[in-house]
Amino acid sequence: MRGEAAAAAGSAQAGSAGSSARAGSARASTVRAASRVAGRAATRAWLFAALIGAWWAWSAGSTSVYFPPLAKIVRTLWAQWAVGPARAQLGSSLEHLALGYAIAGLAGIGIGALLWSLRYLREATSPYLYFLYVLPAPVLVPAVITVFGIGAAMKVVIIAFAAIWPTLLNTLDGMRGVDAVKLDTARALGMSGARRTLAVVLPAAAPQVVAGLRNSLQVSIILMVVSEWVASTGGIGYYIVTAQESFDYLGMWSGILMLAIVGGAANLLFVLAENRLLYWHYGARAVEGRA
Amino acid sequence: MAGAVLAGEGRLAPGAPGRGWGLRYGLRLAVLAAALALWQALSAAGLIPGDEFPSMTATVSALGHLAMSATLWAAVRDTLAGWAIGLAIGGGCAIVIGSLAGLSGFAYRSVIGVVEFFKTIPVIAILPIALVLWGATLTMKIALVAFAVFWPLVIQVCYGVRSLDPIARDTARVLGVRGAREFLMVILPSAAPFIATGLRVSVAVALIVDIVAELIGGGSGLGAQILVAENSGPSAYPVMYAYILVAGLLGVLLAGLFTLAEGWVMHWHESHRMAAGHAG
Repeated sequence: MRGEAAAAAGSAQAGSAGSSARAGSARASTVRAASRVAGRAATRAWLFAALIGAWWAWSAGSTSVYFPPLAKIVRTLWAQWAVGPARAQLGSSLEHLALGYAIAGLAGIGIGALLWSLRYLREATSPYLYFLYVLPAPVLVPAVITVFGIGAAMKVVIIAFAAIWPTLLNTLDGMRGVDAVKLDTARALGMSGARRTLAVVLPAAAPQVVAGLRNSLQVSIILMVVSEWVASTGGIGYYIVTAQESFDYLGMWSGILMLAIVGGAANLLFVLAENRLLYWHYGARAVEGRA
Repeated sequence: MAGAVLAGEGRLAPGAPGRGWGLRYGLRLAVLAAALALWQALSAAGLIPGDEFPSMTATVSALGHLAMSATLWAAVRDTLAGWAIGLAIGGGCAIVIGSLAGLSGFAYRSVIGVVEFFKTIPVIAILPIALVLWGATLTMKIALVAFAVFWPLVIQVCYGVRSLDPIARDTARVLGVRGAREFLMVILPSAAPFIATGLRVSVAVALIVDIVAELIGGGSGLGAQILVAENSGPSAYPVMYAYILVAGLLGVLLAGLFTLAEGWVMHWHESHRMAAGHAG
């Protein structure tokens, strides 16, 4: 995927650079690259399309209450989530998700960096950090409810608390892996501690920090739904559980599809942002790989 | 890329052992003692209301009572059953399908898009379907755990199989090693580090999904007990927190056992030989 994007970007550049002498060959290579990209996209998409087609065909004549026809589900999805009343639920879910995830990401990187710089604190707390990391976060939902009630604060707190650990531990691990020579060089160049952290340590740890952020995103989405499911009056999770409990299986399936769309879209946005932020890292790796 | 994404996860690199051991464990115990004392002091001073958050002594004594009751161990057994069977089924399918997909470039490129998509679907989304199909049963928990474990692991297996050194493969071919034997003796060992990384994540994910299935799906186990305690009102909160502590300890225990097993199974591999060299 990354390679395709790079190839497309490269060919686009080649095309726009085209001086009159090289325009012909540039165009030919653009066409070649485009057909290669299209071929790859087709290989990647056919099975997916076939699966959806199979589901559509298999469920078309379905009279089962539990497994309604896909066509009906898609219609409900549109009526409920795109133009209908469930739009508000989607909005409230996404709001809590964004807030909780942002807090978790910032706090995870910040506390991770702090622990990295304070060696003794790190040594003393590391087993407990690990305990909190492997503690299944959903068990905390009832506990957080007893303290924060069932409002928006409860959901944001749960998402932030559960999602902070992957980012925090990955930041810590990434910073511990920074090349000592780089640090010594920065010190010899007279860079201050803060500048060293920002200009040397953070970029070096960035790939792993990003890996942690990606895990945190998945945890955030799970906790968003769990928090709405257990105790709430709004959100995607609430919508799904109400539909299920009132035997509205069409509504339930539309909520499930919506959730899949939210998960897929959040992941796609993340990958796009990652490619932008870390283009220098993947670029360097691609060159190394070729050599 | 997934190798890089998963590699650092879930493992706090062990510090350099040797001289600082006494200091390190002293510090850790001190932190534990300080945290417990702070918890107790806050409760005693009334800063955290007792009807919302029980005191440390109440929680620990509830834990003591639970440890001697059959309820706790039955819950732990039910949770472990869902965890182990689901992990075995999901992991087994992932290794077989991932290997098959990884062996052919076309199959790999066809499958990877579908897998990447399913990986992003929160397993919670599948929970209502599993509930409708199986109700609050062990089967429901197993199905959810297997589903949650399968997708991330199958990607790791694909990457692992594709990372096979062509020289090793050609050598095996020349020596006439083929079919099932080639798979067991050449492909699987070469993919093992990737599978191990994926499994390490799966061990934690499986426990989380298992407990979620109990907590909101109602399958019996620790999650269900936590919910029961919450619904019984403030007097049962010490019990609720005791169960939460047990869930966390179970997570630490399973992760620790996995690390031990990994060191034992993978002792021949570069990464563990390096670790052994550092430790010695």
